[in-house]
Amino acid sequence: MCGIALTAECIFFVSDPHGLYPLLEATENDDIYAAAWIGIFVGFALFALSILGIVGVIKCNRTLLLVYIILMLITYAFEMASCITAATHRDFLTPNLFLKQMLERYNKSDTVNNNDKWMTEGVTKTWNKLMLQNQCCGVQGPSDWQQYMSAFRTTHSDADFPWPRNCCVMNDKGSPLNLDGCKLGVPGYYNSNGCYDAISGPMNTHAWGVAWFGFAILCWTFCVLLGTMFYWSRTEY
Amino acid sequence: LPACPPPALLPYVPHMPPAALPGKLTATTFALERPCCVFDPHANASDTVWLVVAFANASAAFRNPPSRADVPPYERLPTAHSYMTLETAAAAYACSAPSPAVLRVGGDTACGDQCGRDPCNGPLPSPGPYRVKFLLMGCHGPKAETRWSDPILLRRGTGGTAVPP
Repeated sequence: MCGIALTAECIFFVSDPHGLYPLLEATENDDIYAAAWIGIFVGFALFALSILGIVGVIKCNRTLLLVYIILMLITYAFEMASCITAATHRDFLTPNLFLKQMLERYNKSDTVNNNDKWMTEGVTKTWNKLMLQNQCCGVQGPSDWQQYMSAFRTTHSDADFPWPRNCCVMNDKGSPLNLDGCKLGVPGYYNSNGCYDAISGPMNTHAWGVAWFGFAILCWTFCVLLGTMFYWSRTEY
Repeated sequence: LPACPPPALLPYVPHMPPAALPGKLTATTFALERPCCVFDPHANASDTVWLVVAFANASAAFRNPPSRADVPPYERLPTAHSYMTLETAAAAYACSAPSPAVLRVGGDTACGDQCGRDPCNGPLPSPGPYRVKFLLMGCHGPKAETRWSDPILLRRGTGGTAVPP
């Protein structure tokens, strides 16, 4: 049962409902996604092994129970690694990390190789979608685009684009409600919030979800394993 | 020929809008509060109001152009150290005109390449500092002018590098 729950939870995270994976991929440290993938397989393994264990108990078969215990220990180790990875890598996700990535990659025009191009396109599309859907601009606010140099600034003039177009409040047709108001920063025509909350919220939930749910399952599985080992030592061949 | 009377000096000082607009000062543009009711005593229907933009150290040497043909254009900013732009009918600054509260200097990126006679409001090429004043021009030359503004220094931050992780 726990196995199925873990699998379901990790599939949910891997499916990336918020579309933030390209940002992680561009940081070249997507370990919390690896942790979620491991969670899927561990969950499935737990489910399969539990069937094995039940069969072994019913048939009072010592070898079967021994196999069950050993495989559970291996799965246990994997899940432990996955939880620890998710928990420690949460600290890696800071506002500065995303700010630097956004300034260096958003709308970057001169990409050096295919990998660079892929990551740049991912970051640009993700940010465009993020700013549009969450009505936000930049990591801490539109001033990010004014305070720091960026790849965006090299191709878009400061007079026309103090910040990207998607920071403007849009009408139903997808064009800015009032372009001059947006360029000036008149309240109501531009997005004044930063997007950091929209990024860190889902990612933190993801990391904590994988880590803590995994730990909970480990505790429960530990008890079950102890019980099984105790039972194994009492049965006879 | 009788000498034209010198233009009236209005006490109005041009300034940036007090509201906290993040786009009112960027690296190549700045915003000014629209002067309302300032030129009404002197303006006719046919007069125009120009904005004079000059480098702060060249503002004292600026001489009002005697006619529209002598107006220094945007393209001559590097050599003349000043230019005039934002030619608007005086009626737009009248007391009764419903107008946007803010003028944006430097917002037109499409002009500057043309050799037309239209005044260009192009982006400013350097951080400045600049001083501005408004000049009311009639058929016979300048009729009234405001005081020079305080020096306006543009943003220089986008030359820096991003924060380290």
